[in-house]
Amino acid sequence: MHRLKILAGALALALLMAGAAFGQTVNTGTANFSTYVAMGDSLTAGFSSGSLEQKYQVNSYPALIYREATGKTTGFEQPLVSAPGIPGILMLTGLFPTVITATPGLGQPLNLNLPRPYNNIAVPGATLHDLLTKTQSTSANDITDLILRRLGATQLQEGLSLKPTFVTLWIGNNDALAAATSGIAIEGVTLTPAAQFDADYNTVVNAIIATGAKMAVANIPDVTSIPFVTTIPRFLVNPRTNQLVIINGQPVPLIGPNGPLQAGDYVLLTASAELAQGRGIPAAAGGTGQPLSDNAVLSAAEVATIKAHVDAYNNTIRTVANAKGLAFVDANAVLRDLATNGIAIGGIDFSSAFLTGGIFGYDGVHPTAFGYAYIANLFIDAINTTYGGSIPEVDLYPFIFGPLPNQTATLAAPLTGKAIPSATGFVFTPEARRSLLQSLNLPSWVVDGTKPPRKPRHPHN
Amino acid sequence: MGRALSVVALVTLAAAPLHAAGFSIFEQGSKALGMAGAFTAQADDPSMLFYNAGGLAFVDKTDFSLGATWIRSTKADFQGAAPFPGPGYKAEQETLSEFPPHAYWVQPITNTWKFGLGIETPFGLTTSWKNPDQFAGRFLSTKASLQAFDINPTLGWQITPTFGLGVGGIVRVSKVELNRHIAAINPFTLQAVDVGRLNLTSDYTKDSYGFNVGILHRWNESFSWGLSYRSEIKVDYTGNARVTQISSGNPLFDAIVGTQIPFGTKLPVKTNIDYPAEASLGLAFALTRNLLLETDVNWTGWSAFKNVPINFTGGAGSSLPDTSLPQNWKDVYSYRAGLRWTTSPASQWRFGLVFDKNPQPEEGVSPLLPDADRTGYCIGYGHTQGFRYDVGFMYLDFKKRTVNKFRPSEGPFFGTYQTRAALLGLTLNF
Repeated sequence: MHRLKILAGALALALLMAGAAFGQTVNTGTANFSTYVAMGDSLTAGFSSGSLEQKYQVNSYPALIYREATGKTTGFEQPLVSAPGIPGILMLTGLFPTVITATPGLGQPLNLNLPRPYNNIAVPGATLHDLLTKTQSTSANDITDLILRRLGATQLQEGLSLKPTFVTLWIGNNDALAAATSGIAIEGVTLTPAAQFDADYNTVVNAIIATGAKMAVANIPDVTSIPFVTTIPRFLVNPRTNQLVIINGQPVPLIGPNGPLQAGDYVLLTASAELAQGRGIPAAAGGTGQPLSDNAVLSAAEVATIKAHVDAYNNTIRTVANAKGLAFVDANAVLRDLATNGIAIGGIDFSSAFLTGGIFGYDGVHPTAFGYAYIANLFIDAINTTYGGSIPEVDLYPFIFGPLPNQTATLAAPLTGKAIPSATGFVFTPEARRSLLQSLNLPSWVVDGTKPPRKPRHPHN
Repeated sequence: MGRALSVVALVTLAAAPLHAAGFSIFEQGSKALGMAGAFTAQADDPSMLFYNAGGLAFVDKTDFSLGATWIRSTKADFQGAAPFPGPGYKAEQETLSEFPPHAYWVQPITNTWKFGLGIETPFGLTTSWKNPDQFAGRFLSTKASLQAFDINPTLGWQITPTFGLGVGGIVRVSKVELNRHIAAINPFTLQAVDVGRLNLTSDYTKDSYGFNVGILHRWNESFSWGLSYRSEIKVDYTGNARVTQISSGNPLFDAIVGTQIPFGTKLPVKTNIDYPAEASLGLAFALTRNLLLETDVNWTGWSAFKNVPINFTGGAGSSLPDTSLPQNWKDVYSYRAGLRWTTSPASQWRFGLVFDKNPQPEEGVSPLLPDADRTGYCIGYGHTQGFRYDVGFMYLDFKKRTVNKFRPSEGPFFGTYQTRAALLGLTLNF
């Protein structure tokens, strides 16, 4: 009896000590990350600079959340792709003028034989509706098959088949973004109708929480907070001075499909190749006098249409998040703040500026590794707030100075660009544009710049 | 009576919150140092010119005093936290070793009017980080230093045999230096790189004035009290900044950066610092014939230290965008207790204890000037006949300061600062 007590005491002590030894567990509050599934689109997949590539995938915001929440580096499976990624990752090859082009070649899938769905099941290019309906690629450039692997299930079904204990859902970006990146805002083609978004969003969230999983969701940034839309001014710029060209005391507006560009019109990054050929520049200022293509310009009316849709989507997301008690990340507010004020980390300034801001990569749409780590911390803060945990934030040091975690080498030495005559000093090459639009899974007529099948210019009329 | 009061004073002291630090240097005499600066109600050596000008009224012979305090950090570490610079990050400051000096001359003019001249170093600071080119906080500060000397002529008036008043003028001579790196995003790597080293050095300013006033009431043989005030002084600095370029390794990018920042050029700059007012109340009780206890409360009006504006005045081509270093400090109190034990007509032992509350809000704690609450333990000895000298020693323990807040203009630099210092003072009297 006495001996038994001593034995019990010794056992309890041993257990306590074992607990202490292995007790480096993170306090996740009421959230449980033992099976974490990330659903979404390219932003969740870790797509950066126009490509899905391992270097960025291993530091996708879901991978970072997983590492912080579990303290583990394995167990979170992703559809990794070797360098130079799929499609070939964009690179900067010159500064005078600025030339961005796709790395030749394609990466190889590295995790294609995983005998279960991926934890990061996000499909680049996916719209909200795709989560519920799409099971395979629908065009040659569509990389849905790389992620869903023709298992006959949708992104939602594959994700739920893992019986997740925690799900992050950041979806809806492509429901509005495609309209911005293609310069064409047509409800039902590049814009999801708000009512459909609302119905689908409720369906998806209800299906996830019905499994008992806890959730974190993020809303949709406004398209005017990304450098793809905000970088090129609507006036002609002298590439040597980077100052506006002034003729007769006035700046020279570029020519869009409906004449000289007006206040509120935006010139997309993809316009740079046309501008390099003199399109969009008045003959008097040395251009061809021909208008920029519709794909290259986002008119004030299109911006308003897109914004109205984004506002409606975000209303849905916030309403659902509040009603269901989900952790909520206001990505829209954060990106607007980044575009307006920037942020500082330890005295280093970051902004939404293209190339020099450090938050967005070479496609002007998707974040850099630093941008994703910053987003991961937004999720972690929201999760801690909602579920009462104390998951540590991601250490930003390697994302600011490099090398990236799980990487042994920094980026290859920059190439020196060859001089290309240019009216803007900036070229987003046709290949770069193509790989970006492909990755967004747009219809081929948008990617190829051929005529749309129908022509309702004002979708709200 | 003395004893009863002293107990009350001690209880009050114990119950008070542990509170006045910043970059003030309260060690301006080795006698006072031995008693942790609890000297306002004694003020009976030439350092009275700093501690309480009221004491000057009682001076009955010419006296000179010259000394310095050796301030040496024994530990000044930083341990990082997420999100930046991260939990695995550690840094150290260079070992601080400084000798702020003090010199005093007191001279009776008549039986009731006395003159004194003091040179003091009431403020000072050096924060210098090791391996500045690698230090993660280099974009906030690599080295900051500030020196201030006061030239302090004072008149003392013995109004009654037990009541003295002193009034002085202060000329503050000072200089400030700031150093940090400038970062940019390298478009080829989309990561941050160092592009320049910024040095900002002011000239010595000589035209900043203030005043001090003190009263000392030697109530009776066993009790005295004193009140001392030194005014707030706003110092305007002019100087020059200079940025030297750091190559990113990419000549194209370096060329672009070169068009944005005027490297290697003198950039005229203006700034100002509001130095706080200080007030002290001291009560001294003779416990026995040979034993004296003093308790002091000091107030420092650090709320004056709101902001350090950095304004570039050189115009196009020789300036950078104006900036400012917000401070928003708070007024603070410190509590001091000193015990003086006279062991012979020629010798005194002194002991002291100080609780010093830091005035710096958490979001303002940065590599520029990381402050923390302090506790100081003191011992001192004085030889008061023949070859007269005082030595004082203080061991200063800073409370660990953990930073989890930031100013948006600077961004997070989270972690824990830990500092310890030792002070050794020697003052010679002639």
